[in-house]
Amino acid sequence: MKLDRRSFIKLMAMNSAATAAATLFPGVSFGAWSTTEMASGGILWKKTPCRFCGTGCSLLVGVSGDRAVAVKGDPNCTVNKGLCCVKGYHSIQILYGKDRIQKALVRKNGKMVEVPVAEALDLVARKMQETIQVHGKDAVAMYGSGQWSITDGYVASKLFKGCIGTNNVEANARLCMASAVTGCITTFGLDEPMGCYEDIEKADVFVTWGNNMAEMHPVLFSRMLATRKNRTHVKIIDFATRTTRSSLAADRSILFRPQTDLAVANAICYEIIRNGWVNWDFVNKHVSFHKGKTNIGYGTEDHFKFKDKAETVDFNALKLFLKDYTPENVEKISGVPAKDIKYLAALYGDPDKKVTSFWTMGMNQHTRGTWINNLVYNIHLLTGKISSPGNSPFSLTGQPSACGTVREVGTLTHKLPHGVVMNPDHRKMAARIWDVPVENIDPKPTYHTVEMFRALDRGDIRFMWIQVTNPMVTMPNLRRYRDGAEKEGRFVVVSEIYPTPTSDIADVILPSALWIEREGFFGNSERRTQHNEQIVPMPGETVSNTWQIMEVARKMGFEKQFPWSEETYIEDIWNEYIQFHDSPKHRMAPFKVLKERSGVQWPYVNGMETKWRYNAKYDPACKQKDFDFYGKKDHRAWIWLRPYEPPAESPDSEYPFWLNTGRVLEHWHTGSMTRRVPILHKAMPESYVEINPDDAARMGITNGSDVKISSRRGSLVMKAMINGRGNPPRGMVFVPFFDEKYLINEVTLDAFCPISKQPDYKKCAVKLERA
Amino acid sequence: METSNRKLGKVFLAFAGICVLALPAIVFWALSYGPDEIEAATVETSQTTFDENSATIFVSHDALTRSYLEGTSSQRTLEEYYSRRQYSGSPPWIPHKVEDESRERIACLTCHEKGGWTETLKRHTPVTPHPENTYCRQCHVKMETEDLFVDINWKSILPPRLGRSHLPGGPPPIPHDLQMRGDCIACHVGPGAVAAIRVDHPSRGNCRQCHVPDSFTGLFQR
Repeated sequence: MKLDRRSFIKLMAMNSAATAAATLFPGVSFGAWSTTEMASGGILWKKTPCRFCGTGCSLLVGVSGDRAVAVKGDPNCTVNKGLCCVKGYHSIQILYGKDRIQKALVRKNGKMVEVPVAEALDLVARKMQETIQVHGKDAVAMYGSGQWSITDGYVASKLFKGCIGTNNVEANARLCMASAVTGCITTFGLDEPMGCYEDIEKADVFVTWGNNMAEMHPVLFSRMLATRKNRTHVKIIDFATRTTRSSLAADRSILFRPQTDLAVANAICYEIIRNGWVNWDFVNKHVSFHKGKTNIGYGTEDHFKFKDKAETVDFNALKLFLKDYTPENVEKISGVPAKDIKYLAALYGDPDKKVTSFWTMGMNQHTRGTWINNLVYNIHLLTGKISSPGNSPFSLTGQPSACGTVREVGTLTHKLPHGVVMNPDHRKMAARIWDVPVENIDPKPTYHTVEMFRALDRGDIRFMWIQVTNPMVTMPNLRRYRDGAEKEGRFVVVSEIYPTPTSDIADVILPSALWIEREGFFGNSERRTQHNEQIVPMPGETVSNTWQIMEVARKMGFEKQFPWSEETYIEDIWNEYIQFHDSPKHRMAPFKVLKERSGVQWPYVNGMETKWRYNAKYDPACKQKDFDFYGKKDHRAWIWLRPYEPPAESPDSEYPFWLNTGRVLEHWHTGSMTRRVPILHKAMPESYVEINPDDAARMGITNGSDVKISSRRGSLVMKAMINGRGNPPRGMVFVPFFDEKYLINEVTLDAFCPISKQPDYKKCAVKLERA
Repeated sequence: METSNRKLGKVFLAFAGICVLALPAIVFWALSYGPDEIEAATVETSQTTFDENSATIFVSHDALTRSYLEGTSSQRTLEEYYSRRQYSGSPPWIPHKVEDESRERIACLTCHEKGGWTETLKRHTPVTPHPENTYCRQCHVKMETEDLFVDINWKSILPPRLGRSHLPGGPPPIPHDLQMRGDCIACHVGPGAVAAIRVDHPSRGNCRQCHVPDSFTGLFQR
């Protein structure tokens, strides 16, 4: 095209106008955020598991320069398939709160003083050695969490159990999924669910037992809703003690009185047998029947001890045992209409329906937590609806690595990475891999979490190192344990990222690198191990928790057991750790594979993940045809006869209300991270007490007015919420525990399941007054 | 003919003059947003499903009436759009009053699936590009306060710029990720759209015939 003068000018003019429009218009200051220095450099996307719940979503974190600037769901991850929840989308903002702890702090004359990290670690090592010298090795303890990276928990266990020789290692997962573990162990002999999240697309019926997945596992909840939308016959049944978002989305919401899930589960079994819905082929080949002790107590007293004893019985014994649990009888205990119990039984009993049961804290934080886990397995075992696609009794975990770090690494007093301290073969294996004398490993478990804090109060424990958890908000009957921790002669070390009520009582605060500031691994609810690389630099003088423990170990003289270099220690630890699980029942994926993929499920055998355990079609560890419950010596899953027993404390004339506690969608646990995320705090700025509208009207309590909640242990004043996010039935109140300003755990009771030692945060008696 | 051409020429000449006067400003802008800037905030796109669910575009387009497609409204601005987000692409918070909880999963989509005029808010409703996700409040939350718990040192990259055509008058590429935002029609067409990003040719429904993802991969090299 030939350009004359006129058309040239025309073109130029148009061009400049376009440029002017492009430059004057957009991108100038439209964002509600300030921009990074590298704002124009484009962004790189890196995968990581989400920092928050046990769902284990994989995120893609957008990085610009050395900052995380954006998040999207990882489309390559089968867990979340590109979707996140509001916490996940804003998760990277937890790195940037202005009060981030970036230096070590040591208490000197009552005041916290900044010191170099090396000096603080010296002090920690010296203090631990002195305490061991004066008070013995069982006077030092480590308290971690299901938010520990796998390598953190592994080196903690190796140092305390292998090198120092004390079983004083516990994790807050004891407060979260201990009953799920003992449920699995007593029924199957091996821990963790047999199914996987693919069950969500395969099931015809979902029954959620006392959990609120819409808020606690939102991405899985959305998957369930999508299944129902795509396959319109699918039903979601919410079986709970309080009406929640999940109840509103469900096809049926069935409410039961606290603790009576035990009776209802037995009534469902009664109906299944009465109607001839037992899958005899499965039961005859794969199930055996057992009875344990009854009237087993609640553990509210110090030094409480309990050991269950299994007695083998037969199907007739089960039938005889269940005769008291007719739907009509159970209606009287549970408040669930007999027809609803029959409806639930019919769903489980229908041979043409695949049923998946989900549960989390409602069943685990329960003074009979092990029993109710057993009873739900009973239902699935009687009907043979287990270990096959869509048929799944599925215990969801709360924390990102409760499975990975606590259940698999075994950071509990009785556990080792493989097996238990009581077993000489397991001790021998640990001693060999850890390169320590086998005599180092004490065959006697010491304290479970509640008893560990009682021991700190009594003075049996003098030194405690707390990482990645906030027990001064989360311990039940909190006041006793905080007063105990603050007593003269106690030394508390806290590895933290932000100031919390727990760091407030610390003698040493170690600045920790968080999540994507360091390399590590999580393990989610469906046996999926997920690697994250270091994506952004560690701020200030922060170091990883793994490195903190390794440094202290070396200073205590265990250089030989912790030889790894700063460049490769995460990979080296992984390679040592997976020797513990080197069998087809639990083999873990090699480091290289984990690094490449958005999570890999174990058992990982011959390059294949195992989606459904105990099923010969999918699980290479099976030795029998169709199913093989190889965790138990008799290769059968155990049905347990477990009765209904009342909770430790029930409402009475003086304290007429149930107190139920829990989480909300926006906040992760105690809010120490999520409250620093603007959108999450703005959406849920403070805690409240949910009250049933009828109770509120009767007592003259209005929405937002102050209410005093008191129990036999403590009291607090907070705002009433009526017809809010959830709605408790008459006679119950609900309080979210994320807010450190309202320490509801000063009110709760430290009763626990005698088998799992997991406390019950869902039931105690309180009274309400207008304040 | 001759006169009108001459008139047009004068108008253009005058405009060119203004443009020349504005040159320092333009140069300043151009310098502060160099060629790299063109790539700013460009998000590496990843293929999630078959052609990023591009079929939804045709479906949406077919389902809409001509009057909707051509509807305009100047109420929504880019400023407002980004003020509800923490970074480009984050789920926005809910800027209006919502009933607390009850029957919410149905309620949001009643308005946000198809759009239209809402009498209570006196506005046209923005349309969601991912109505298949029915549990809206998993990601979209309402605001109860303006205060923060603790201040935050938060930074992100610039939102994508407009008018990024590679040639004068050429179709601009898609500057954002298509994951969950693959239905062009939902956000770029109709009266509920943000005015600055509403297309002026809504009758054409095969958007990606001209607008292609602009991924941050640099230039082709053998």
